[in-house]
Amino acid sequence: MRRLLIGLAAVVLIVIVMGLYLLVSSGASGPVQPIAYSHKLHAGEYQIPCQYCHSSARRSPVAGIPSVERCMGCHKIVAADKPEIQKLKSYWDRKMPIPWIRVYNQPDFVFFDHEPHVRKGIECQSCHGPIQTMERVYEAVNLNMARCVNCHRQNQVSVDCLICHR
Amino acid sequence: MGGIDRRDFLKVIGIGGATAVLAGCSSQKPENVIPYLVPPENPHLGLSLWYATTCRECPAGCGLLVRTQDGRALKVEGNPSHPVNQGRICARGQSSVQGLYNPDRIRQPLRRKGDGLFEPIDWVQAEKIVAERLAALLEKETSSRVACITPLLTGTLDRLFDAWLAGLGSKLRYSYEAFSYEPLRAANRLTFDQDAIPDYDLSQAQMILSFGCDFLETWVSPVSFSAQYARMRTFRNGTMGTFVHVGPRLSMTGANADEWIPAKPGADLYVALGMVREILAQGSSPLPAAEREMIARLAAPYDPKTVESRSEVPPATLKRLARQFAKARPGLALGGAVASSGRNATPTQVAINLVNYVTGNVGRTVHFGSSSSLGRLSTYQDMLGLVERMNRGEIEVLFLYQVNPLFTLPESAGFREAIKKVPMVVSLSSFPDETTAQAHVVLPDHSPLESWGDFSPRQGVHGLIQPVMKPLFDTKAAGDTLLSVARHVGGKLVQALPQESFYEALRGDWKKIYRASASAEDFETFWENALRAGGVWSEPKKRGVRLSSQIARVDFSEPSFDGDDPAALALTLYPSINHFDGRGANRPWLQEIPDPVIQAAWDNWVEIHPETAKKLGITSGDLVEVKSSHGRIELPVYLYEWIRRDTVAIPIGQGHEEFGRYAKGRGANPIRLLGPKAEGGSGGLPWLSVKVTMKNTGKRYLLTPVAGSNTQYGRPISLAVSLSDLLKEEHPESEAHPSMYAPHPHPKHRWGMTIDLNACTGCSSCVAACYAENNLGIVGKEEMMRGRETSWIRLERFMEGRSPENPDFRFSPMLCQHCDSAPCEPVCPVYATYHTTEGLNAQIYNRCVGTRYCANNCPYKVRRFNWFTYQWPEPLNLQLNPDVTVREKGVMEKCTFCVQRIRRVEIKAQVEGRAVRDGEIQPACAQACPTEAIVFGDLNDAGSDVSKRARDPRRYRALEEINTHPAITYLKRIRVDSEEG
Repeated sequence: MRRLLIGLAAVVLIVIVMGLYLLVSSGASGPVQPIAYSHKLHAGEYQIPCQYCHSSARRSPVAGIPSVERCMGCHKIVAADKPEIQKLKSYWDRKMPIPWIRVYNQPDFVFFDHEPHVRKGIECQSCHGPIQTMERVYEAVNLNMARCVNCHRQNQVSVDCLICHR
Repeated sequence: MGGIDRRDFLKVIGIGGATAVLAGCSSQKPENVIPYLVPPENPHLGLSLWYATTCRECPAGCGLLVRTQDGRALKVEGNPSHPVNQGRICARGQSSVQGLYNPDRIRQPLRRKGDGLFEPIDWVQAEKIVAERLAALLEKETSSRVACITPLLTGTLDRLFDAWLAGLGSKLRYSYEAFSYEPLRAANRLTFDQDAIPDYDLSQAQMILSFGCDFLETWVSPVSFSAQYARMRTFRNGTMGTFVHVGPRLSMTGANADEWIPAKPGADLYVALGMVREILAQGSSPLPAAEREMIARLAAPYDPKTVESRSEVPPATLKRLARQFAKARPGLALGGAVASSGRNATPTQVAINLVNYVTGNVGRTVHFGSSSSLGRLSTYQDMLGLVERMNRGEIEVLFLYQVNPLFTLPESAGFREAIKKVPMVVSLSSFPDETTAQAHVVLPDHSPLESWGDFSPRQGVHGLIQPVMKPLFDTKAAGDTLLSVARHVGGKLVQALPQESFYEALRGDWKKIYRASASAEDFETFWENALRAGGVWSEPKKRGVRLSSQIARVDFSEPSFDGDDPAALALTLYPSINHFDGRGANRPWLQEIPDPVIQAAWDNWVEIHPETAKKLGITSGDLVEVKSSHGRIELPVYLYEWIRRDTVAIPIGQGHEEFGRYAKGRGANPIRLLGPKAEGGSGGLPWLSVKVTMKNTGKRYLLTPVAGSNTQYGRPISLAVSLSDLLKEEHPESEAHPSMYAPHPHPKHRWGMTIDLNACTGCSSCVAACYAENNLGIVGKEEMMRGRETSWIRLERFMEGRSPENPDFRFSPMLCQHCDSAPCEPVCPVYATYHTTEGLNAQIYNRCVGTRYCANNCPYKVRRFNWFTYQWPEPLNLQLNPDVTVREKGVMEKCTFCVQRIRRVEIKAQVEGRAVRDGEIQPACAQACPTEAIVFGDLNDAGSDVSKRARDPRRYRALEEINTHPAITYLKRIRVDSEEG
């Protein structure tokens, strides 16, 4: 009986720890960012095109995080009194870049190139999820190799290893 | 029941803890993505931005294009529109990024403390220390006792140094390069009344006769000469230029020759004069009678018999050479390099000038009018004068700027003792070299890649130097340091230098160039265009010259050597192609890339003929004491068949006592063996002027065994064809062997390469380019001894010749052959290596489990294994190419044909909706090659350059018999038999 209890306690503990881990790692809420920037507001309600801020996406391998200068381009005037914009202004005044927390990451041996995908007209959402609904960005799509290969197969694009690994 | 006891509690906690740890392992640590505050000029992240600038690794002044990404310099390539190097660059040029990111760079101003160690101080403090001293000297009116030693400078920085010294009332400016070719200038004064180093045009020559001149390695402008040489050697219309090398040793340049004339050391003079006499006697000189007679009188004593007795060149050989050279219209005789400059260097060069003059080559392959800036250098004799002044206590402050005389002057010249007598030594150098270690204050300069400036390698070429990134450290451009110190001093000095900044001074000077150019644009447009192009240049001017009457006074003296021991061997020192005068020794790439001839890395050595070694009881790998009457050093022995039995050779460049972790304590500095006396004729340092004795120390020291063997044992790896066979033979398509495997389909592209071994000179620029492009790890000497170097492309060298008439050295780059039937592919248990539909042999790092079966099965031995996770000490890691994976321990790697470059061009073409153009994709090795020996392209496109070359009659595949169907086609080297030339 005592053994059973202990066993049960152990199992319950494991389940709790793993459950907690899954909850955190699934990141349904995403990491807390230094500024509560809302894609829902910018991309959703105001319908600002993704590439207005991520302007490198159609020209280079990386989409890029916009510079602080680009944020301030609008927010010198727009909503300048809001507390989150005050945080932005404080970074700008201190000449500090904003230490955003990375949401999407790929291993160093994976070379994904945004340019050809964006130019083909593939929606940002097909890899980054319904970003226009996210108050805080989370990893909505698991960007593993299977997903890349499946999409390439469906669209009859090369699945040669060297396409991504080099 | 007492609940849970301690034992059970621990069990539960243990399981829970382990689970938490496991969960912790798989979750990623939050990582920051830091955006720009204000984006740089190029607003698109992840794209490269290229800046044109000028290389400052040697005085050749090649044009560079520097690739930068996200604000840091990644790789340098040649600037295609630059008149000197036309898009190509040598290994030393490639390594300029390792100068920029060198972990041993001086990072802030330093001051020597009482205990002799340096302490960091701030700029204001440092400049004030110097300024106060200068102000005190000005007050005492002894500021004329300030001296400056700089390397070869031209343009604004040159002018600023002069103006700065003039402001102090001093004339003690020394433009010092270790290799300053004084005899060339002196001889041109005597022969043609021209105090200049002329422009040479090798491409027009039908025959090159080199008197120990290493024009493909370090002499004057090697990248430019390599390109010209390759054009001269191109086989067309059934013929090609020939090349004969005279001298006691075959250098890398000499190893390219069709014939070697092993004349006695220092006896080049007699060979040249004997040739002049023969050419005149054969009546084939185009000169007017009066000049012919004058020269004939000079050359009269040097009949073939006399020449033989002094140089050991047989009369028949001399006569044949003279006939061949006179027949070549034009030909070109070259001399005056370090290795062959002895006590009679000036008369020797006069004799070589005469060889050119009597055959009418001056004006055809030798051009006066646009002389090299090297002609403006101070001489070695001037440096001796400075040492004397220092010894007499006449120098109050000595400024050193990017020079290392303590290393490059002979120890016997006494610089080491003299510098201790100077009350204040200020170094503006970037590295902790031997001379900087003697400084009291160090005001470190930016790297040339962080600086503004200009450099003119010859008249009519104005190269601009522009910063390609922000300075890494708390350093300051030398020009700005001068201005800033002047402001601290004030008074006369600041009046001499009124400019706010060096940049302003530079633009001010370029306004003069702008006005001289009579350009129709406004200055700003002119400046922008010059920056974009890398500078401005005009066609070289050509000025006719006539024989000087001074020639009659030339004393054609016997060579003389210090050291009278009859058993002594003449010592020839030669500049290492990798380390130049020693300045390349702190670049890990240049240490790791083997010397092309000796095939050893991380060391220097003494080359001795096997028979001489046997007599002395010395064998390969012995550590010997090399002793002259001026000094002694210890070096390992390399047995070299292509050196005379009475001569030994040592490369210059190693043997640093300081100069950072990569250079310090490696090898020995052979300049220590030289005497202090300058050559009478030119004031130059006689490099070939001592005889040495060798003694076995009984110790052993092994060099890196990169080559493995000196011959191919008859295997068809590096092939040659004689010119006569090439002309007569039919060239049928070699018989296709039956294959067990179905051919691979290549529906779109089939990438392939051709390597023309007749153009390859062995310079190893391709190897350096590959290290730079592909993040190849530096393994160090210990690991190289175990054969663990990571080079994806290596320069193989085979010595196939058996007689001096036909040295038949073979240099061939060996890299992954991207075989169609690749032996490596079927043995991989995890499918990490396979054949792509574009004909590449791919290696997928994340699949590789490190069985090394593939490397064992590769007949070309081009696969490299990562035995460790190799390190890039900060900030060297900033040079890593972001487009290429940095491999870790346990992974196999090899040449990818620079697949990252292929993909980039393919994506660009796809986005622009067009096909990939021929020549648009250039792997790093093909891009760098100074002789354009390597060509890359699509073998599916019959019209592509690579396809055309792959159909050349000289085509063959390495180890064709094993039926691997490589994508690389080699073109055989062409041997010109001595009788044919």
